Amino acid sequence: MIRNKVYPFYFVGGALLLYVLFFVLPSVMGLYYAFTDWNSYSPEVNFIGLDNFALIFSSSQGYLRYISNTILFTFATIVTKTVIALGLAVLLTRGVRRLAHVHRMLIYLPAVLPMLAVSLIFKSILNPATGLLNESLRNVGLGFMAQKWLVDINWAMPSVIGVDTWKGIGYIMVILIAGIEAIPREYYEAAEIDGASGWQAFWRITIPLLMPVLAVVTVLNLLYGLKVFDVVFVLTKGGPGHATDTVYTIIFDEFSKGRYGVATALSSLLFVAMIGLGYFVIRFMHRDTEA
Amino acid sequence: MKISNVSLVALVLVALLLIACGGGAAPTQAPAQPTTAPVATNAPAPTNAPAPTNAPAPTTAKSNVTITYMASQDWITDAEQELGKKFEEQTGIHVDYQIIPSDQYFNVLQTKLNAGEATDIFGGQSGVTDLKLQYNVEKNAVDLSAEPWAKQEDPLVAAQATVNGKLYGLTYWDTLGNVWAVNYNKDIFNKYNLSVPKTYADFKAICQTLLKNNIQPLFEPVSDGWHHVLWFPELGPRYEQVTPGLADQLNDNKAKFADNPTMLDDLTQLKELYDLGCFGKNALSDAYADRTKMMSDGKIAMTVMSTGFPQEVEKDYPNVKADTWGFFVMPLADNQLLNVNPAGPTKFIYSGSKHIDEAKQYLNFLMQPENMQYYIDNSPRANTLPFTGAKNKFTPELQAFFDAYKDKRGTVYQTAVNYVNPQWIDIGKDIVGMFSGTLTPKQVLETIDQRRADMAKAAKDPAWAQ
Repeated sequence: MIRNKVYPFYFVGGALLLYVLFFVLPSVMGLYYAFTDWNSYSPEVNFIGLDNFALIFSSSQGYLRYISNTILFTFATIVTKTVIALGLAVLLTRGVRRLAHVHRMLIYLPAVLPMLAVSLIFKSILNPATGLLNESLRNVGLGFMAQKWLVDINWAMPSVIGVDTWKGIGYIMVILIAGIEAIPREYYEAAEIDGASGWQAFWRITIPLLMPVLAVVTVLNLLYGLKVFDVVFVLTKGGPGHATDTVYTIIFDEFSKGRYGVATALSSLLFVAMIGLGYFVIRFMHRDTEA
Repeated sequence: MKISNVSLVALVLVALLLIACGGGAAPTQAPAQPTTAPVATNAPAPTNAPAPTNAPAPTTAKSNVTITYMASQDWITDAEQELGKKFEEQTGIHVDYQIIPSDQYFNVLQTKLNAGEATDIFGGQSGVTDLKLQYNVEKNAVDLSAEPWAKQEDPLVAAQATVNGKLYGLTYWDTLGNVWAVNYNKDIFNKYNLSVPKTYADFKAICQTLLKNNIQPLFEPVSDGWHHVLWFPELGPRYEQVTPGLADQLNDNKAKFADNPTMLDDLTQLKELYDLGCFGKNALSDAYADRTKMMSDGKIAMTVMSTGFPQEVEKDYPNVKADTWGFFVMPLADNQLLNVNPAGPTKFIYSGSKHIDEAKQYLNFLMQPENMQYYIDNSPRANTLPFTGAKNKFTPELQAFFDAYKDKRGTVYQTAVNYVNPQWIDIGKDIVGMFSGTLTPKQVLETIDQRRADMAKAAKDPAWAQ
């Protein structure tokens, strides 16, 4: 009752209107088009039921491979970014004291660069014949480690994941540092008095108290990973073959071919997956902290 | 109070949804609008009032208009850009060339056309299927049939830019005097006592000899996504020779790529060449832009390039003379026929452009005899242009090559067969998949069939109606 008096319901009206107009309606309309044969070749738009989804999930069309590539990319980047960023965050809050801010800034720096620029630079670095990486490896006698990073079917996806991780860890690290610094130092002092080792303090204090932040970081990485496009498009264009094609590169491809119905079905599928998985991750990690 | 608040919010939501549903009909009709009330109908108007087109490049009233022209990276030559500067000097109209990397061009163009935001002039590959399916020229391009240059164009070439009797594009490209052929370094061939191959077995033997002598047999820039595809549809004349009437059967949906043994041979042999290392260690990352550099130092013996390539190399590396190179047709599947493609990069004027007249002026300017000649003389890859009055600059070697295949030629399949050219980049990805071992040659052909069926059904092609 008190809350009602302080905040009359119509205060939310403007925001609600904009939200419905620009978010709810396009989503609903998008969902509708996913059930049609809307394309650029024909002026007619016919309701075709679940045909677009049947096409996406049929094994002959290759869409399942793009979905599995997207899941692989998402899972791998969540793990690599979170683990490395967590290690760096702990190192730069509890370990390295000297010039810690400079180190943080240097690690964060790639996050402010446009992905397009980063990808173009790495495309040059990873060129198998003339790239900096292979040249360096050859010059220090490690030529056997030189790979066809972006054009070998086995190395293309790990290379894309590597570039994305390099760019993304700084951002995740900054969020985790904020989380770690919010943990009261008294807990660590008490643990030290009780004879806990650094490793035990990390697992028993840092990780549990960081769980809400880790949940946020995971959801951010999850949503980013599922809708990845730019890094793949610039580095490999989905190749070699279709080895690194993801859902969004295919949505772009389908849209540019004028197959709007299939493209909308794919994006609707992704929309539902993002909401579902995001909700699941938050609930799962929240329950973990409560336990 | 609480209930009324909730009901009010619910009411707003329901109202908005109703608006959305009511409005929903409009977007579903939206794609129909351009065809029922075509934007293109605005376009012919200037052709009905062709004053500016009949007075090309007026020198009197200069306008300060900028027209935009978007094309794939290799379609806008230095010579054309120079002509663009001259055009600006004469008319005051600035041409802003927007050059897009070739592997992304069709996606970017399609997206812009579909979003209604194309440039004043846009480049596209001619070919009747492409005109209808890729560019929907009846909606997106201006009818240029009444332009003064329209009758100058070679009928075979003009037919590829014509839909329902209307000419929509200017194919300012050497389509007839320039074919894709294997350009080979005669010095290397002489050194190892090699001769022009007549069969695939000969060709493979040449590659193996070169490999033994540490010479890379072929330069194949796969990274661009399109070049390595040439090995497949450009051999259309051979497929037609082995199976007469195949193109018609494919267009009538009475034959499939996957059932054709000659096509299967072609892809299987292409894969074999890749596996043997004939394309070099870095084919998948080699770039078309490096072609003259890669071929100039005598470490690679052959490459599939246009017949204007020798002049290109000489221009970039004057010590490598054009007569270093000889030509032969791509010998996969034992092909010995010349591949001719009357379709090529073509300029279309966007029907939604605000500067249709200025764009027409630009095309008229390019078609003036002295400008055509300037283009031919200064474009290494152009040996001529497909217009009456254009002179050619064939070298004796090239003249001999064309003479040798005078009666042994045919049309390439990306032009002769529907729904092939629009999937060019996709075929490129499939072939890379084949190189990498994730697809078999047969699966590549099946995928092509599948995409053809998808496109044909979307286009409501009667041959695919059953």
